Amino acid sequence: MNKSHLEKLAPWFGLVARLTLGGVLIMAGYLKFDELDKSQMAVRAYEMLPVSLANFIGLVLPFAELFMGLLLILGAATRFMGILSALLMLVFVIGISQAWARGLSIDCGCFGGGGQVEPGEANYLTPLLRDAGLAALGIYLFLYPRSKFALDKSPSKAENN
Amino acid sequence: MSPKQNPGKDNFTRNLVIAVVLGVTLIMLVPTLISKQTNTSAQIPSSVSAERGYGIVFNGELKGVPVIDIYEDFLCGYCADFEAAQGQYIEELITDKRATVVYHPLSFVSPTESRAAANAGACAADEGKFLNYHKVLYANTLRANLEDWTNAALVSAGQSAGISSQKFTNCVTNGKYSDWVSNVSADGANNDVNQTPTVFINGKELARGKVYLDRGLFKAAVEKG
Repeated sequence: MNKSHLEKLAPWFGLVARLTLGGVLIMAGYLKFDELDKSQMAVRAYEMLPVSLANFIGLVLPFAELFMGLLLILGAATRFMGILSALLMLVFVIGISQAWARGLSIDCGCFGGGGQVEPGEANYLTPLLRDAGLAALGIYLFLYPRSKFALDKSPSKAENN
Repeated sequence: MSPKQNPGKDNFTRNLVIAVVLGVTLIMLVPTLISKQTNTSAQIPSSVSAERGYGIVFNGELKGVPVIDIYEDFLCGYCADFEAAQGQYIEELITDKRATVVYHPLSFVSPTESRAAANAGACAADEGKFLNYHKVLYANTLRANLEDWTNAALVSAGQSAGISSQKFTNCVTNGKYSDWVSNVSADGANNDVNQTPTVFINGKELARGKVYLDRGLFKAAVEKG
């Protein structure tokens, strides 16, 4: 009984995971895609990549976020988008951690803005926790892609209606 | 469980949606990527040198003097502080022909308004009044309202700087050098400029710190080269 209860709840949890992860991605992409100079600067400020590669990623990332977010909200290719966004969040976690560890003073630039900030004003913990949480949601969707109100057809024979 | 139980139609809708979303994303992304390439056919003011990162150049012909590159944004408050602290000294360097100075107006603060201001700066350069106009715009930076940076305001700032020609008005209103601002931004991005103002002296970035606002320290840094 307990198990079937969980089975009933799982698609709803999947929906919440999709909307949360997708919503955050869309927000992040939307706030950056028309301020690309800043987006490029935000990536450069992590001092992880050669300047030209950082600039390219600064251009592409907001659009990739919008794309992944939209598909997650619609519930299309949920499994793939789940693991893709989990990997993206992992990259963010690595970037923020290395900035923190090296003592860089930067804004994460997660939702626009970014670049160097006054020493001591950098906040790394909040974005780290948020991105780790979002990565967990992405992994969940990869493992259990079935969710309510999705375009993906259910892979299970126990069709939810 | 078998594919038959799931009508192909569902999958079709889903794939169609994925294709549409992907298509729309690419339609937005590709022109952006292209627009970030340096546009060699962009109109540039006569005082601008493509070899010097599309900056507005003063005393480009001098040899054996320090070269000062200034990446700035007319809307940035810190740039206004920098101008207040060092503007007069830099102007002296220019008029006394003791340095080559290259101004790179970026569009960091706001893609629209900063671009309009940078464009207007280039228009002023065509009138031979860039330095005056520069001063007037920074005196205005304290009004933090983004909406105030209209073309009309930029034109009337020109009058305060002693520019009254119809050519200038047209240049500001039509955004004549708008594409050029993108080229300046691309150069700033390639040079890892992550903040405004950023100053390079003889190609070496002036490390962030008191030196930007301290006249004595800045002078020493320029003279050291």
